[in-house]
Amino acid sequence: MTSVAGPLTGDARILLPPGIQKDSVIYVRALVAHPMYTGFSRDEKGALIPEYYIKTVEITYGGRRVARFAWTSGISRDPYVAFPLRATHEGPLHIAWTDTKGRVYTQTAAIAFGG
Amino acid sequence: MENHESTGRRSFLRAALLGAAALALSGRDLLAAQGAHGGPGDDMPDAAKKVLREHFGARPIKDGHVSLDLPEVAPDSREVPIFIETDLPMDPDHYVKAIHLVVDHNPDIYVAGFELTPALGKASIDTRIKMRRSSQVRAIVETSRGELWWAHKLVYTTLNGCV
Repeated sequence: MTSVAGPLTGDARILLPPGIQKDSVIYVRALVAHPMYTGFSRDEKGALIPEYYIKTVEITYGGRRVARFAWTSGISRDPYVAFPLRATHEGPLHIAWTDTKGRVYTQTAAIAFGG
Repeated sequence: MENHESTGRRSFLRAALLGAAALALSGRDLLAAQGAHGGPGDDMPDAAKKVLREHFGARPIKDGHVSLDLPEVAPDSREVPIFIETDLPMDPDHYVKAIHLVVDHNPDIYVAGFELTPALGKASIDTRIKMRRSSQVRAIVETSRGELWWAHKLVYTTLNGCV
């Protein structure tokens, strides 16, 4: 595992199912590109790569916080997470991933009913 | 040098043979075999017990209400898929407040904590984790009333996934 953080780090995506019905529980899938270095791996020259990972994930729906995740480098590279959400109203679903260097990656998806 | 090399080759061969033998065993046999060799069996290492004490104090953790879906053998320990689900309610007055993920033999034993709210409607988490070696993986579900429920499963890995 010698790959370094490429330009894609921070590329964040939210996947929503099609045809969301009001008050149904949907599954939200979220992905962010991040190396998630543990501090135990080495680069091509054999030097230890310092620890660097996504530490917190904040999820808001219509401006209200609905979930918060605390991660360590034990979550895999390019972290993927799927969680349920009751679609009670139309509005933005916002996710912010913050890493150990304080960089914040965000993505927003619109929860809308029907189609 | 000569000696070292032949030792290296021999131990590699031995490891390869052991690996092949392990793969030939079923999950149940693996459990028994690992128990016999002081491997990652059901006994929780002291470090993992300490992590649980730090997070939950002396509160009892009971079996039940948690389903943990993990492969018995992880083909890639850098990406072990894990699905945690519970049948506990997500009502405003009684809900799953958090799902905690503990891997007994990882360098960071407490892998992740997922704080949830009733707005989610259900409580489940699907993600991918790294594993240093074969280990018990534990999902602990904490309710708003302070109850703790868990499920655990032994996952057998083939290489160090702590990259």
